[in-house]
Amino acid sequence: MVKSPAIIKRRTLRVLGTAVTLLDQIKERAERDLGFDLEFEVLDFVSCQGKAALSPQAYDIYDQCFHNLDIVWFWGALQPIDTQRITLWDQVSDLTKKGGISRYAWRGHGDAPVKKLYVQPGDSLGSEQGRFISMLPTVHNLDSFGYDARVFGYEQRFNESWAWLLDARAKGRVAIVDEPAIGIFDAALAAESSGEIAFADIGNMTVAEIDALIKLLDDRRQKGFFRTMWRTAADASALARNNQVDVQSMWSPAYGELSGGAPHFLEAVPIEGYRAWHGGMSLRHGLSGDTLDMAYDYMNWWLSGWTGAVMARQGYYMSVLEPVKQALLPEEWAYWYGGEEALSDLSGTAGQTVVQMGKRRPGGAYSDRANRIAVWNTVMDEHNYAARAWMRFVERVRAGQP
Amino acid sequence: MNKTVGTKVTMQKRYALISDVLRNNMRTGRLPQGFVLLEGPIADVMQSSRAPVQMALRILEEEKLISRFDGRGFVVGKSQYPVRGEIRDLDLQISGEIDEALQSRGTWELVYDQVEEDIASSLIFGEFRIIETELGDHLGVSRTVVRDVLSRLSERGLIRKNQSSHWIAGPLTAQSVRERFAIRSILEPAALKLAAPHIDYAEVAHLSRKAEKPDDVEEDFEKALLESCIAKAQNAELISVIRNIQLPLNAASRALTRLGLPRDRFAEDEYRTLFGLIERRLIDPAADYLENHLKLLAQKSLARLKIVAVISEAEHSLPYLTKIQ
Repeated sequence: MVKSPAIIKRRTLRVLGTAVTLLDQIKERAERDLGFDLEFEVLDFVSCQGKAALSPQAYDIYDQCFHNLDIVWFWGALQPIDTQRITLWDQVSDLTKKGGISRYAWRGHGDAPVKKLYVQPGDSLGSEQGRFISMLPTVHNLDSFGYDARVFGYEQRFNESWAWLLDARAKGRVAIVDEPAIGIFDAALAAESSGEIAFADIGNMTVAEIDALIKLLDDRRQKGFFRTMWRTAADASALARNNQVDVQSMWSPAYGELSGGAPHFLEAVPIEGYRAWHGGMSLRHGLSGDTLDMAYDYMNWWLSGWTGAVMARQGYYMSVLEPVKQALLPEEWAYWYGGEEALSDLSGTAGQTVVQMGKRRPGGAYSDRANRIAVWNTVMDEHNYAARAWMRFVERVRAGQP
Repeated sequence: MNKTVGTKVTMQKRYALISDVLRNNMRTGRLPQGFVLLEGPIADVMQSSRAPVQMALRILEEEKLISRFDGRGFVVGKSQYPVRGEIRDLDLQISGEIDEALQSRGTWELVYDQVEEDIASSLIFGEFRIIETELGDHLGVSRTVVRDVLSRLSERGLIRKNQSSHWIAGPLTAQSVRERFAIRSILEPAALKLAAPHIDYAEVAHLSRKAEKPDDVEEDFEKALLESCIAKAQNAELISVIRNIQLPLNAASRALTRLGLPRDRFAEDEYRTLFGLIERRLIDPAADYLENHLKLLAQKSLARLKIVAVISEAEHSLPYLTKIQ
């Protein structure tokens, strides 16, 4: 009689998130390093957040952004993270722990992660420091817009303004990202810096301000201002490469994807400052035992350097710097974090060249960029109202309605 | 108040009918001296809402057929010895004519509650126009009944007329949630203080013990707090304002519960504490505690309202509501 081989059940950790962090190469490497299987479910921001709140049994880790956190948290879908189980917690940046990389850094309007980081008595979220947190800060960036220097001019440093998104020079060749908690701020920064709307608090607009913003955008739309509303970084990159836009919302990886294909298309360093966002990971409510241990292993692994290097090659920063520095080549660290000239061509996540030798990262070093945050991606109090109004506007642009 | 004429006629009929039934049954002795009359159970037996029962009791009190006593409700006659029992067990005599009238009249009231709930829970999805003919078709009722329903919705502050005389509902914005909670935290603690001499503390003690059991949820506690404590304030205008302010908030909260919002254990604990304070007649601390509780509830409500942004309104649409873009 042949004895059947012992069946060893592989353990699996389920991660719900977006294309920002749920990359195949990260999954493969994590499975190898950690000795368990990973199941990645990749959704867009909005669906991801809805699923996290309404189907909390469908995942173990919620890998998303701080601005998408409090909905899910107040829906009771998550549990606090014990910072004593996070090996490198001491090294996590003050950007999230205290609200700025230094005492003097701009704080930015809106949902700064520090406002949602710490679990407060009564299970609410706030900036009062404590042992338990709602989301482990990981990847983040300082976003701006991209523009065609042949239209707006070269040598525009210290002159680039969000107002260009509404500038007549680019009429008919403007694109904005469609995500309501992100695109609406690109548009609002444009409206504010062009002097057309003054928001009392751009990070928490009133109904009247939202109405005014949508009306302004709609007037521009009727004049044929907008080329389209894009959805992914790849869409944005294609619009720039195919010479369909003069100015648009732009995310870091999209510049890499241009890979020198549109040298006139530049990343702005807006005088008003950046629109920042911060990602992180949260634990599902009710997660316990072995799976909870796996979840902590996975989160600790994420901070240990290798993933930070993968993220850096797309232009994203990590919340813990030193291990990333160790994992990157010195010339990569110097370019991406140091703001120095690239000493060689630099590769992206798939090995393709994303930075040509001699280039400098616009905006300079991490410390310079992270000092100048105008607004954070935010799910405002009036988000329900704003998102509906925004999506109706997006549909009108896409439908090409007069 | 011309627009409520239709409503008032039906209301009049209804409370008159209810007071007739009670009067007749007292005369025949089916309602014994000292029997405790409570609004809720009478409303159940009469298949009515509470408002006409309230009115009927007030009339009977004026006629000195019933009287207030040191407890909740009224007693039949002037008895000092309240007799408690289930009114439905008394086998009250309701004449065929009145029974029929109770069944048929006030059609608007029979359909009203559902319409109110449907509209109140749609407000989170935006601003809507109510199409009167569609509402009539949906309910299978006449235009007159539709008008009665709309008058009542308007009185409760759920709908309004725009410049072109269309009925409009919503939207429930964060701003209106914030404002409503701000009003609540002014009015409800004040009402609780006014109510103090009229609260049935034995009943609150009962609620307090009941609240210890894990099967009651936040919404029941909130309702019990209003009905058994706050609404005891002898100021009908004040209580009516509080009810109207709460209406869309509570409907939104119920709509979110239907979408899967889990129980709020912290809020439930807060209600337990509140009942405990009131039971011990610590009304001042209870009022302060209530104010703070409402502040926390406001923050949570704002955060929870945001999730609605990812829920398609199409799944929750009603044939008689048209979205205003």
